[in-house]
Amino acid sequence: MATEAPLELVDSLARLALFADLSRPQLERVAHTFDEAVFPDGQRILRQGFQGTGFYVILDGEVAIRVDGEDRARLGRGDFFGEVSILLGEPPVADVVALGPLRCLQLGGSEVERFLLDHPPVMYRMLQAQARRLRNANRWRG
Amino acid sequence: MATGRTARAELLRRVPLFHGISERALDSLVDLVTEVEFPSGRYLAQQGQVGSGLFVVIEGRVRVTRGDQTLAHLGPGEFVGELSLLDGSPRMAHVVAEEPTRVLALGTGDLLDLVEREPSIALAMLRTLAGRLRDATDPERG
Repeated sequence: MATEAPLELVDSLARLALFADLSRPQLERVAHTFDEAVFPDGQRILRQGFQGTGFYVILDGEVAIRVDGEDRARLGRGDFFGEVSILLGEPPVADVVALGPLRCLQLGGSEVERFLLDHPPVMYRMLQAQARRLRNANRWRG
Repeated sequence: MATGRTARAELLRRVPLFHGISERALDSLVDLVTEVEFPSGRYLAQQGQVGSGLFVVIEGRVRVTRGDQTLAHLGPGEFVGELSLLDGSPRMAHVVAEEPTRVLALGTGDLLDLVEREPSIALAMLRTLAGRLRDATDPERG
């Protein structure tokens, strides 16, 4: 997968639900603030029980959320992960594994809170997504 | 008789979603809620309805039902619709007043305004939900 030129990256970000409420200049800043990261099939990006390294937004590809070797959920384009352990300051409670080649935006753990406070609409979208995940998680437990 | 600010704040404090927010933020939230009265037999929310938000019972009693099944009876200080406040997904159940009932109501749109004005509230709520997601994921803690 080729790395996108900044303009294409900004267009690509504009189509993700997480960033859908941001203006063009804000999207450009997001493109500069985050790094792009590419992972091969099977790569573990977060490791259950080990300190997390960042907040990730999927640009292309899919990941499995795996707890004790069991797949619990899949995330795809526009989904995000890594925020739970960053917000709680704890190691991840799941492995996150690339299913095929994966391209993400990545933000270091220490920068996440500042970024979120500067972008309330992104936080609001994350709250909505977390509420949905929590409904689903509770469904697993019956 | 309208409920005072302190009593409203205490009622909102009971909602887990608001556990992490500051006193100042709670005060802003008090400004946003509306007090609504329902006669006995009136629906507060109907299954399948979208975006009706959170209700905290001040006085009276409501019944939560799905189909023919009664899921819960809620009295003063109890609440329903915490997650639907965030994700705006259709109501999973009917909520009907069993006797003359007064509630504090907070709609999805109100919350979005608040998040824009006071991003720290959203961050506190994100952290609270992250903790609940962790607990739902990790069987040893959940």
